[in-house]
Order: sequence, then C-alpha cells, then structure tokens
Amino acid sequence: MRLNASQITKNFGHRTIVKNVNLTINPGEVVAIFGPNGAGKTTFIKILATLLRPTSGKLEIEGTDAIVDYAQVRNALGVIVHENLAYPALTPFENLRFFGQMYGVNDLETRCKTLLDDVGLSRFIHEPLHIFSRGMTQRFMIARALLHYPSILLLDEPFSGLDASAKQFAVDRIAQERQNEKGILITTHNIELGYLVGTRFLFMINGELDEIAKKDEIEVETLLRMYEERLINTTSN
Amino acid sequence: MKALRQIAALIRKDLGLQFRSKETLALIFVFSVLVVLIFAFAFGPEFPTEKTERGKLAASVLWAAFVFAGIITLNRSFAIERSHGALQGIRLTGVDASYVYLSKVISNVVFLFLLEIVITPIALQFFELFDDVTVVTLLKLFGVLSIGTLGFCAVGVLLAGMSTSTNGGESLLSVILLPLVIPIIMGGTKCTVSILVTGGLEDRFWLMMLVGSSLVFLASAYLLADAVIEE
Repeated sequence: MRLNASQITKNFGHRTIVKNVNLTINPGEVVAIFGPNGAGKTTFIKILATLLRPTSGKLEIEGTDAIVDYAQVRNALGVIVHENLAYPALTPFENLRFFGQMYGVNDLETRCKTLLDDVGLSRFIHEPLHIFSRGMTQRFMIARALLHYPSILLLDEPFSGLDASAKQFAVDRIAQERQNEKGILITTHNIELGYLVGTRFLFMINGELDEIAKKDEIEVETLLRMYEERLINTTSN
Repeated sequence: MKALRQIAALIRKDLGLQFRSKETLALIFVFSVLVVLIFAFAFGPEFPTEKTERGKLAASVLWAAFVFAGIITLNRSFAIERSHGALQGIRLTGVDASYVYLSKVISNVVFLFLLEIVITPIALQFFELFDDVTVVTLLKLFGVLSIGTLGFCAVGVLLAGMSTSTNGGESLLSVILLPLVIPIIMGGTKCTVSILVTGGLEDRFWLMMLVGSSLVFLASAYLLADAVIEE
C-alpha cells in the first residue's frame, strides 16, 4: 500500500506545528525522519495515523482519502506513538487478544503468543502492563503494532527505551517487514540506528520536512554531520 | 456478526476493567452507602409514620445515591480509556465509534444496575420500608431504576467522553450532566415514590417521561458518538 501526504499543515491555536509537509511512503521502503524534540514529528505521525485531523492538506492511503474515510484505512496501519495505546490494568496477552478481536485477526490466541514470544515477553504474559518498564512496554508496543498484519508501519521513536538486544530485534524486524513489502516510516533522534534501518532520509525541524537523500547516496557520517549543522543553524537563527 | 463480536468484546473489556479495579469498586459502593446513611441520620432516627412520606424520602435518597455514584462510574470509565491512549488504540482498529459508545452505555448500565440491586434493599431497610415491599414491587422498582439508569448512562457516556478530554473534566461532568438528566431524575423519582407507596404506577405520565427522555437521549447521543469519540 502507498501512503501519500500532500501539503499537510497542523496548527494548535496560533502555533503551526507542521508546515506544508509532503511525503510519500512506498511499499518496501523505510523512510526515516530525524528531528529534535518539538520538531513536529509526533504530530505528523499522528496525522498520518488518522488520530489527528490536519488543519489543511490531503492524506491518501492507496487512493482512499484517509481524512474523510479514516475508518477504511486504519486497518492497514500499524502504529507506535508515545502512549501505550493499551490498557495498563490488562496483561499484554489480554491487550493483544482484545485489540485482535477488534481488528478481526484470525487464529488470535496463536498470533498473540507468537508475537509476545517474538518480542521477548512470553515470561510476562500474565503480568499487568502497568508493572512493565519503559523497555518492556516498548516491546509490547511493537507486538501491538504488528498484531493485525498491517501494510504500513508508522513508528514514532521505536527504539526508545530498548536495551541492546531489543534494539537488534527491532532493527531485524523492521528489515523483515520491509522485505514483506511494507511501507515503513520511523522517526528517531538516533541517526546511526535510523541509517541502519532506513532507505530514505529526511529531516524535520520546526515543522518543516526536508528530503535529504536515499541510502545509496549518502554515508552515515555525512548524514550525521548534515543533521548537526542543520540543528546548529536552526538554534543560531 | 462482526459488529456484534466487536461490541461483545468491548463490553467484556469494560466490565472486566470496572470489576478488576477493587479500589474503584469499593469507593463507589461505600460512597453510595454513605449517601444513604447521611440522609438516614439527617432525617432519623424517627421517620414519618406515613408511608407516603417515607416513600418520598427513600426515593429521593436512592436517586441521589445512584446519580452521584453514576457520575463517579462514568468518569472512571472514560479515565481508563484516556490515560494511556487506549481510546486511540481502539480508534486505530477502525471500529465504528457508535459501537464504542453502545458498549460503554451497556457496561455502565450493567455496573450501576448491580450497584442498585445491592443498595436498594439497604436504603429501604434504613427508611423502614423493606417489610412492606413484595417481590413484585421490588421487580417493578428495579424496572424503573434500570430505565432511568439507561437514560442517565446514554447521555452520561457521551458527556463523559467529552469532559474527560478536558482539564478538570471530572467536575465538569457533574455540571453539564445534572441539568440535562433532570427529566430522568424527576420521572424516576416520581415512579419510585409511586411504587414504594402504592405498589404500582398510579400516574403513567412520569413513566412516559422517564421512558421517553431515556430513548431520546439514547438516540441523540448515539448519533453524536462519532463526533465525540473521534475528536
């Protein structure tokens, strides 16, 4: 599935958080957006996930107007944002089973167990989510995002709070999902990890999105230097 | 079938979460008993000898207890959804917002009705009416309470959905909900008095008001559910 956002703007009161942003995510590519805190990445991801309505602009997912017909396209999206998108009083298994029922996932019990096993939470299957550490919650979020076999993954800071083994798992899983022809968008502060998983790189600073390069066009060091220069210029301006 | 499965799963989840939180369960139960006790202490220890007066007193106390317990329950019910973005998680599944609304109404009605089954005999005992009540009268009373609870939850769920997304939402719900549910409280209280005093419904007007306003609230809130849950 292809996601196409054009001229997306989002205002909160008088403040413009996202400014005339254009972005296309094609199947089989991993778009990595780098940006500092408050750049508008989370707001932009929430707009793409149809959780926030843009002030202006168009959002199409496989030709469907996602702003008007949001219910039709949501099934195609796997989303990680800062919130858990789950119930802390329920166990990870109960949460996955509930959301799986909402999505209409087949062979649900097996799917939940497999995913929890994949993300390394099978030992904690009967523990409520509210006792989980940040990293464990993030692992759960990865399982939650993949539950219904989405075609497009929108991952806001997917590596946040993960330890080394979980980061490796996330990197491998993103590569695997890309092989399965899924379109993936990640936002991160971590240039090295973003470079590792990404196929196309963009900077988002002060709500504006700049296309930088494809992976075969740029080295990680150059990307890092460009990002730092951009941040310094923005701060000095 | 898919819609029914989704609504059933939502109701199971809502009730599961309501009953799993023992603190909230205890809080709502103790709060309701306290309302009954405060009124009993205020008007007692010697209650009016006339059954009509005691009936009026008991009906007012019952409805006051249920309305305030209902506000706590509704607030709690939506706070669970908002606190960690769970409602956003549900929205992402593409489920129809009206199913979310309906399931919230049903689960809150069930929860409050169970509370009413426990609190009503306690209140009747305090106001010295329990011995006069037959099983048929009690069933009629629960019938009226369930209709009133449905109407209360129909509008309450919608307003709780709106108020919990704002700062100070818990207080806001009381302020915006109570004026709206006056027809339900009036109809419900008058019907309750009639049942407690005469064992039946003498004046059908109040029952019609209770049923009519409950249905109007349910229909209009159902139509507005999408806007509230999506915004």
